[in-house]
Amino acid sequence: MSVKVEVGAGGIPHNQILIYGLVGSLVLIYLTYLNTITGTEYFSFFGGLAAVVALLWGTDTIKHLCSYGLGTGVPSAGMIALGSGVVAALFGATTGPFAPIVTIIIAAIIGAVAGLMANAVVRMDIPVMVVSLIELAIVGAMTILGLSAMACGTFEFLGMITGEIAILGFIVQSYEFSLIGGSIIAVIFMLGAIAIQHSFNACLGPGEQQDRTLMLAAECGFLSMIPIAIISFAFIGMYAALISLVVSIVGWLYTYKKYIELSQRDAYAWLDAQPILEPKGGA
Amino acid sequence: MEEIVFGIGITALAGALATVAGAAEDVESDIGSQGDPNSQVQLAPQMGYIHRIFNKAIAGEPPAYGLWVALGAGLAWAFMAMQINPILAIVLGSALAVFVQGIYATTAYLGRTASLAKFGQPVYIDILKSMTTVTMAHAFIAIFATVAMCHLMISALGHPFPLPLLGIVWGIALGAAGSATGNPFYGKERQYQEQKFGAGVPISASGNIVRYAEAGQRNSLDNGFFSAKLGGPASGICFGLIVFFELWRTVVFEEFNIWGPIVVGVVVILVFAIIDRYIEVWARKNFGPYTAPEATEEASS
Repeated sequence: MSVKVEVGAGGIPHNQILIYGLVGSLVLIYLTYLNTITGTEYFSFFGGLAAVVALLWGTDTIKHLCSYGLGTGVPSAGMIALGSGVVAALFGATTGPFAPIVTIIIAAIIGAVAGLMANAVVRMDIPVMVVSLIELAIVGAMTILGLSAMACGTFEFLGMITGEIAILGFIVQSYEFSLIGGSIIAVIFMLGAIAIQHSFNACLGPGEQQDRTLMLAAECGFLSMIPIAIISFAFIGMYAALISLVVSIVGWLYTYKKYIELSQRDAYAWLDAQPILEPKGGA
Repeated sequence: MEEIVFGIGITALAGALATVAGAAEDVESDIGSQGDPNSQVQLAPQMGYIHRIFNKAIAGEPPAYGLWVALGAGLAWAFMAMQINPILAIVLGSALAVFVQGIYATTAYLGRTASLAKFGQPVYIDILKSMTTVTMAHAFIAIFATVAMCHLMISALGHPFPLPLLGIVWGIALGAAGSATGNPFYGKERQYQEQKFGAGVPISASGNIVRYAEAGQRNSLDNGFFSAKLGGPASGICFGLIVFFELWRTVVFEEFNIWGPIVVGVVVILVFAIIDRYIEVWARKNFGPYTAPEATEEASS
C-alpha cells in the first residue's frame, strides 16, 4: 500500500478537468469530420486541438496517479497511456463515423484490464490505479486519433492506409506512402508519449503549481502539432496543411510565452550570469 | 560475393555513423544532466547545495531519443515523399527534431527549477541560453547520424521497415547505449569528486555534487568537456559495435543459411558476456573495494 503525497493542492478539481477533457476532445475530433461532409481538408487542425485538450486532461491524471510516490514512474505512465491508446485508436478507426466513440470504449476496457493487472497481479495496490489507467488509455487513444486525423485529414482507417504519390505526373494510390504504411503512427506515438508525461515530469517538486503544469501541457501539445503539421504536407492539400501549421505555431508561441511568464512568477529568483547564491547559514 | 563485400562496406559505414551518434548523444545528455546523474542534480538544492548545473529531465534517455530520432526520421520520410532529395530531407528533418528537443530542454529546466523555489534555487537564464544551444548542436549530430544510418539500411541493405519505424527502434537503442555506458562515468566520477575514493555515497553526502571548479564555478559545459574525453567515446564504441554486429551477422551469414544470423547473434552475445565478466572480475580484483593503507611505520606519539 503506497502512501499518498499531496502535490500542489488547490486549483481546478480533477473531475472538472476530466469532463472538459473528455467532452472537449470528443467534440473537437468530430469537427474533423467536417472534412468528409464538405469534401475539403481545411478542418484537419481540429484533430491536433483535440490532442491538446486530451493532453491537458492526461497531465492532470498523471499528477493524481503519481502523487502515490511514483517519481521515476512518470515517463512510464506516458508510455502505457499511448501504448494502450494506439491499440484502441486503430481498432476504433475501422468503425467509420463512430470511430471516436468506439475508441473511447475500447480504450476504457484496455485501461481497466491494465489497471486490474497492475493492482491485483503486480500488487502495486494504488487506490486510483484502475481509474487512472482507464483515463490515461482514453487520453492516449484520443491523442493518437487526433494527431492522425490532423496528419491525414480523416480518422477513418481507409484514409490512414491509403496515401497518394505522384509518379511521373500521375497520382498513384499506394499503401507505402500512407500514415500507417509509412509508420508515421510511430512518430505520433512517441510525440504523444513524451508530451503526456513531460509536463508533470518537468514541473514536479514542492513548488509545483497546477496552472503552470497545465500551461506546459498545452505547450507540449501545440509543440507536437508543429511537426505533424509539417508531415501533413505529404498527405493533405498544401493550403489545408498551411492552416494546420499556422494554428499550431500561433498556439505554441502563446502557450510558450505564458509558460515562461508563469515560471518567472514561481521561481525563487530570475538571474542572468550571476554567481551561486549560497543559502544563509551555509549548506 | 560482390554483394557481401558491398554489404560489409555499408555495415562499416553504418557502424561509423553509429559511433559518432553515440559519442554525441552521451555528451548531450551529460551537459543536460539527463538520465542517471539527474537525481543528484535535482536533489542538491533540497540539501542546501545551490548549483549552476543544467537540469533538463525530459524522460529517460531511451524514450527521449526514441522521440528525437523517430521525429527526425518521420519528417525526413515526409520530405522524401514530397520528392525532396534524401540528404536534404534528412538534414531538414533532423533540424526540426532538434528544434523540438531544444524547446523541451528549456521547459524542463524552467519547470524543475521553478518548482524548487522553496529551497532558494534561482533560475539562471545564462545557463538556459548557453547550454541549450550546445545540447542542441550535439543532439543534431546524434539525430542526423542515426537517421542517415537508418536510411542507409533501407536504401542500401534493403531493410523492409519504413524509415520512422527504424528511427524509433534505433533511437531507443541509441539512448539506451548512452545511458548505460556514458552516464555512470559522469554521474559517479564527476559529481562525487568531493568524496574520498571508495567512500561510496552515504545518505549524508546525497546532493553534495561538485559545484565549484578549479577556478570559479562549475557549469554543465565543464561536464561536457569531461564527458567528451572518455564517457562519450565509450558510448560511441558501444553503439557502434551494436550496430556493426547487428548488420554484419545478417549481411554475411544470411547467404549460407536463414538461421545463420540468429545463431551468430547468440554466439556474439555469449562472447561479450564472457568478456564483460572477465573485465568485471579483473577490475574488482585490482581496484576495489577500498582498503585502508596498511600501517607500515609506527605512529609517532
